[in-house]
Amino acid sequence: MKRRSWIQKQGWVGYAFIMPNMLGILLFFIVPALYSFGLMFTDYQFANPNYSFTGMDNLKRLFQDEQFYGAIKHTGIFLLSVPVSLVLAFIVALVLNRSVYLKGLLRGMFFLPYISSGVAVAFVWMLLFQPSHGPINEVLRWIGIASPPGWFADPDTAMYAIDVVQIWFMLGYNMIIYLAALQEISTEQLEAARIDGASTRTITWKIVWPLVSPTTFLLLITGLIMTMKSFSLIQAITGGGPSGSTTILSLYVYKTAFSYYEMGYASAISWFLFAVILLITVIQWIGQKRWVHY
Amino acid sequence: MNESAGRMKTKWLVTVLMLIAGVFMILPFLWMISTSFQSASEVFSSWLPSKLDWSSHKRIWTGNYNFVPYYLNSVKISVISTVGAVFLSALAAYGFARIEFKGRDALFLVYLSMMMIPPQVIFVPKFIMFNWMNIYNTHWALILPGMFSIFGVFMLRQFFMSVPKEITESAFLDGAGHFKIFFRLILPLAKPALATFAIIDFSWHWNDYENALVFLTSPKLYTIPLGLQNFILENNVDYNGMMAASSAAILPMIAIFLIGQKYIIQGISSSAVKG
Repeated sequence: MKRRSWIQKQGWVGYAFIMPNMLGILLFFIVPALYSFGLMFTDYQFANPNYSFTGMDNLKRLFQDEQFYGAIKHTGIFLLSVPVSLVLAFIVALVLNRSVYLKGLLRGMFFLPYISSGVAVAFVWMLLFQPSHGPINEVLRWIGIASPPGWFADPDTAMYAIDVVQIWFMLGYNMIIYLAALQEISTEQLEAARIDGASTRTITWKIVWPLVSPTTFLLLITGLIMTMKSFSLIQAITGGGPSGSTTILSLYVYKTAFSYYEMGYASAISWFLFAVILLITVIQWIGQKRWVHY
Repeated sequence: MNESAGRMKTKWLVTVLMLIAGVFMILPFLWMISTSFQSASEVFSSWLPSKLDWSSHKRIWTGNYNFVPYYLNSVKISVISTVGAVFLSALAAYGFARIEFKGRDALFLVYLSMMMIPPQVIFVPKFIMFNWMNIYNTHWALILPGMFSIFGVFMLRQFFMSVPKEITESAFLDGAGHFKIFFRLILPLAKPALATFAIIDFSWHWNDYENALVFLTSPKLYTIPLGLQNFILENNVDYNGMMAASSAAILPMIAIFLIGQKYIIQGISSSAVKG
């Protein structure tokens, strides 16, 4: 507390340090966010600058919009990738944390997809999943599956195929964070359990898994939020098709705004997306106090 | 002795199993590279090229679909944005971490809450704003917003807080002002953190597809992700070319990752675990 005196006299310096960044955040994040909030209550269309306030019409329309419900459903299927990738990442991290050689190399191999995110990866997967000649279906035919799925080309499987790519993409990121968490567990604790005769399986699920529960929780929450916001992968692979089967909420916003030019309605959808993210964040806040032990 | 030899055996066994799993993880990349060296007739019919065929790579760099301008655009946008973001975020992070002023915590809370806003919320207003500011369909539409990073402020603030207070305090008592402390003391000390953020931020700009998609329309302004998409839309059966182009887009990131692997991994894990 004593050291505060010298700092406080220089209050204006604080603004000087923050101002350049803050002006940019204000201009490129806060103002557009407020603007978007306002647009939600209008029928603004890009082609027609004369718009009027329509009150809650856009919000009412949301709840009568089949495509919107579809987008929620697709987003839900997309979010399945989060827990699956978490469990896989935990297992990989467990193994990489202890009994292997070549740790650095292995870590790099698993992490590579995350760093090379982007359109390029999307196109590679498009070809891998190509229905008639793609290597994945070639392998499936070779092991005796006569008519393998159409993957991205089939509305019934497209969203699940995207899940596969997303799991692959997120695995390395989740693994790195699990590794960091595992390294903070004291070896004495595990040794003690081993001496008491606990099997590796018991130690893993009864001691290690609960100890990394805060990490699991954090990864689950941030993973859900990141996945809800993601856009590039699906836009590049399917553009939301076939027949809208991979149009998740973020893509629906984009489509509504830049294909149908219904800016007001697009804002309403995007704020619904925000509301869901806000809800998840609030759950995180409450959950943190409940069962995240530091 | 026996027991440890047995342990070594299992360790190698597990290593080999993990290597197999790891190869599956990078199989798409291996397949991509392999396909880029195949001739057009070989795609989908074999896993390895019968001989190295460089024509796809040549086609990408010369001729009608020349990736050079896309590369130059991406380098320009990514470098300027990253340099700006590192410097401006470091300044703000120091302010939040080391100076007390009125409203600081409230301001920080505003920053925090901005992380929740999905980029899709601000697409439409940014589109309207950029039209009005006359920077729509220019590189400025990507560079200007790219220089301001909320994540950067968070990450660097966290690092600056871990620098012992005594160091800055004694400099302060010696008569150094905050700007001097920032430039002479904190920035040199924070090199690893700055490098981490720079690498992560660079990769975001390099891979950024959605902003380019919304704000750039002239093909000559296209960055690599858009150039790639453009190439594929116009040559959708040139699978070898597609894979050569994809390799070209990914390779710089792989190189940067290999150089900065340690930093990236530390940076990502510390920002998430302790964040």
